[in-house]
Parts: sequence; C-alpha cells; structure tokens
Amino acid sequence: MKREEKAKKKRGVRQVLTPYLYLLPSFLLMVLMVFLPIITVFYRSMQKFSKAGKIKGYAGFDNFDKVLGSSKFMGVFQNTVIWTLAVVLISTLIGIIIGMVLNTEFRGRKLVRAVVVFPWATSLIIQASVWKFIINTDHGALNALLLKLGLIDSARNFTSSPAAWFAWEIWVGIFVTVPFVSFCTLSGLQSIDSALYEAASIDGANFTQKTFRITLPLIKPSLTVATVLNIIYVFNSFPIIWAMTKGDPASKTDTLVTYLYKLAFINGENGQAAAVSVLSFLFLCIVSAIYMAWYGKGGDNA
Amino acid sequence: MSKKKRTEGAARKPGQRRISRVFLYLFVIILCLVTLYPYFVMVSYGFRSQADIMSENVLPSKWMWENYWYVLTSNRSIVRYLLNSIFIASGATGIAILCGIPAAYALARMNFTGKKIFMAIIVVSQMFSPVVLLVGIQRILLTFGLNNSDFGLILIDAAFNQAFAVWLLQGTFRGISPEMEQASRIDGCTRGQSITRVLLPMAAPGIVTTLIFIFINAWNEYTIAFVMISDDKLKPITVGINLFNGYNMIEWNHLFAASVFATIPVVILFMAIEKNLVSGLTSGGVKS
Repeated sequence: MKREEKAKKKRGVRQVLTPYLYLLPSFLLMVLMVFLPIITVFYRSMQKFSKAGKIKGYAGFDNFDKVLGSSKFMGVFQNTVIWTLAVVLISTLIGIIIGMVLNTEFRGRKLVRAVVVFPWATSLIIQASVWKFIINTDHGALNALLLKLGLIDSARNFTSSPAAWFAWEIWVGIFVTVPFVSFCTLSGLQSIDSALYEAASIDGANFTQKTFRITLPLIKPSLTVATVLNIIYVFNSFPIIWAMTKGDPASKTDTLVTYLYKLAFINGENGQAAAVSVLSFLFLCIVSAIYMAWYGKGGDNA
Repeated sequence: MSKKKRTEGAARKPGQRRISRVFLYLFVIILCLVTLYPYFVMVSYGFRSQADIMSENVLPSKWMWENYWYVLTSNRSIVRYLLNSIFIASGATGIAILCGIPAAYALARMNFTGKKIFMAIIVVSQMFSPVVLLVGIQRILLTFGLNNSDFGLILIDAAFNQAFAVWLLQGTFRGISPEMEQASRIDGCTRGQSITRVLLPMAAPGIVTTLIFIFINAWNEYTIAFVMISDDKLKPITVGINLFNGYNMIEWNHLFAASVFATIPVVILFMAIEKNLVSGLTSGGVKS
C-alpha cells in the first residue's frame, strides 16, 4: 500500500516535470544566445571602459548622458522614427491592396503570387546593393531605362541630398516589407466566409462598404501580428542602410542600429553603444505596447 | 423605387466589371514589372562586360556567360562561400528544429504553469534583433571561445529563429487532432514513440515549411556574420560577396553574377512553402 502510494507520487512528480523537460532545450538556447547578451548589454551600458575596451568600473548613467547629450543623437532618433513609421505604414497600405487583389480570381494569379514572393526571399544586403546600383547617377540602370523610354533626356541625379538617399532607403524598405503584409492579408482573407459578401451584396452594400465593414475587421487579427513584427524588424533593420549609405554623410541617414554599430565597432565606444541598445529596446517595448493596447481595444483575442 | 434601382445596378454590372478587370490587370502588370525590375537588373548586368556596365543600353551589348563562370571557377570563386552558407544554414535549422519540436509539443499538448511565461520569453526574444545585441553577443561568444567560428554563428541563427520554430510548429501540432496519439498510447506506445511515430509523420508538411523558412532566414543573415566572422574561409555568401566590392571600384558584373547564385535557390525554395508558411505564421498563435 505504502509503496504503491510512493510510486504514484513519483509518477506525479514526473508528470509535473515533463513539460519543463520538453521546454528545456529551447529555453537553454534562448537563454544562452539571446538573454545572456541582453543582460550583458544592460550591464555594460552602466560601466566605464578603458581605451582598449576593458571594463573600468561602475559609471551610473554617464553613458546614457553622453549618448543623449550628443549632437547627433536627436537626428538619428528622428531618422529612426521616420524610417520605421514610413516603411511600416506605407507597406501595410500597399500590402493590404495587393493582398485583396491576389484574393480575386484572375488569369495568371498563381504566377503573380510567385512573383510577389521574390523580395521576401532575397537577402536584404543583396537587394539593397542592386538598388544602390539602379539609382546610380553615372551608370545606373534606372537612368539607362528612362533615357531609353524617352522620359528624360539626360541622366538625372536621384540622390542629390542625404534626404534623397534616405527616401530611397525607405523605398527599398517598403519594397522588401510589402510581400509579408500582402500574404498575411491574403491568408486572413481566405478564411473569410464568402457567404458574408453575398449577404452584404443582397442588402445592397457597395465595394467600399464591404471593404470597411467586412474585409478589414476580419483580417485585423492577422494584420495585428504582421504589423507588430514589422515594427520590430524595420526598426532593427541594418543591411539596407548599411549597404546604401552607411548612415553617411555625418549620420544624416543613420538610424539607431547603424549608429550603434559605428559606436561599437568603429569608434570603440563600448559603453555608449550598449546604452543605445538599451534605449532602442525600451523604445521598441513602449511602441509595441502602445500599438497592441490601441489596436487590441476592438476586443480581438489575437 | 428600390426595385428599379436594383435592376439598374444589374444592367450596369457587365460594363463595370470589364472596366474593373482592366484596372486589375493593369495593377497586376505594374506590380510584377516593379517587383521583377531589380532581378532583371541583377541578372542582365551580370552578363555585361565592365565597360558595358557604363553604357546606356538597357540590355547587354554582348551576353557574357563567362561572368557567371568566372565567379564560380576563377581563383576568386564563391563556391566556398556558398558551401559555408549551406553548412551554417543547415546547422542552424537543425538545432532550431530539434529544440523547437519538444517545446512546441509541450505548448500544444500539455497544461502546465508557466506556459504564458514561456510564450512571453519567445515574444521578447523577437523584440531584439541580433544587431541591437551585437555588443552583448560578441562578449558571450568570446567567453565561450566561439568568436570567429561558424558554430557560434549557427547557435545565434538558431536562437534568433527559435521563436519562429516554436510558433510555426505548435500551430501545426494544434491543427492535428490528439486522438491518434492517445490511441497509440493505449496500444502501449511511450509518449516519445507516440510523438516520433504518430505525430511527427502527420506534421511533416508543417515541419518542412518551418525547416525551409529557417534555412532561408539563416541563409540571408548578414549582420552577425559580417561582424563576427573575420576568417575569409568561414564567411557565408552574403558576406563573401563583398569580394567584388573593392575599395576603389565595384565590379558590378561579378557582384551581380554572384548575387544571382545567392538568390535564385532560396527564392525557389520560398515559393514552394509560401502557401503553408503564411497560414502558419498568422494562425500559429490564434488557434486554440
């Protein structure tokens, strides 16, 4: 009797522990390669460093003061906000339209779907290099094409200012982000019961009404996930800006990520680089939380 | 009155439909042209001679197949980088999946306290890009003696794709009814056997989708490899391609020819999984 109870208890303990054993490998991998670096970054943001990069002691918030006091920081921060907002907003709008188009029946739809996938599957660094070449003034492909089509009669300089460069970087950002939104929209649309549209048509609803009353509310859950992921990815994106301008001239096209890279690996400012990491993370947390709160208000359980 | 209106609407419909069709095709054609344009540039400028790059011709004046041959076989061959990429991406995918399957199983099939916490950990791991953590990652790799090693890169790629692995796999597992596994348990299978013999074969399509998705992510990864790998012998293709991006001049034709080899295989892989992937990404967390 007693032995039986013991065995039962043992089995019970094992039952309780099993799920955690299953989670362990995944958990360890993330702790080692994601969370230890996070802790390291937070720790290092509050340390003093020697020229050689050795930790010299506690620095309090000195690194943050230096970062925030730098003349470049506000500009870089502003760039980051513009970059993230512009890329996410515009690619969401375009992506929804493309998703809706891909959801209608037409000849060649499969082919178009395959084409739309291309930018999603291509390495950002390669995509950005190609665009850097396309918009080149002296021998770029876009000038050659427009000259041939007779739309211009002499080669244009598409990148006459840092702002123009930055606009092109935003364009490439949109170009690579649109497919993800399109396909999320499409998958949301395909789960909608077509009877809803039929009923609406019978009641005399027009296209606009159907779009705003049926389509958009019903694809909202998939779009919420897509948009949060996009905010994070676009904010953190490094290769596009690095390949096209390296953030130059004078940090005019830097975002926080390229700025951080330069602080750490070119200027050797370890403490300040870590501080920028921490600030970026906090900013991203706040933005995501606001977005989720604002968007989740509709009462969705996504 | 309302009846009249409705018949009017019906009468207008065919013409209206034709116009909207025209717009639809116009939109789709422009979409395809714009999307494919950089790929056209990549492929066609890869065929040009260095002098022809500067010309204003839209197509190459002479199609130089030897450029594509050159990037594969000359003494500046990219084959090594391609092999490195295959090795790194496969390694990362393998580790991510092996760690991801049990975790996804626990999330999909078991009840336990801390489930929400684990899900939160996954979300937070996605809030950071490796770039933001570069400084920290470099420290950790140094501590473990993994700096400038392909194994270090594999571990990082695996860890930052862990969220996708768990997310996609648990969605797949939830889509499969647990009855078959329960039946196999009654027939005397252990839990492990019920997973490997019953669940995993049924989940194969979802697992393949996840595998390919992570493989592509790891293949296209640039930043970590760029910072961490200084040994030319270990560089993946995204970094190795800079071989043609010289200090004084960029050999655009060779750069593009190499880019084609780095791009086409993954684009084809991606097209194969696109349909499964998207439903998995958006429904993985919603279904319950």
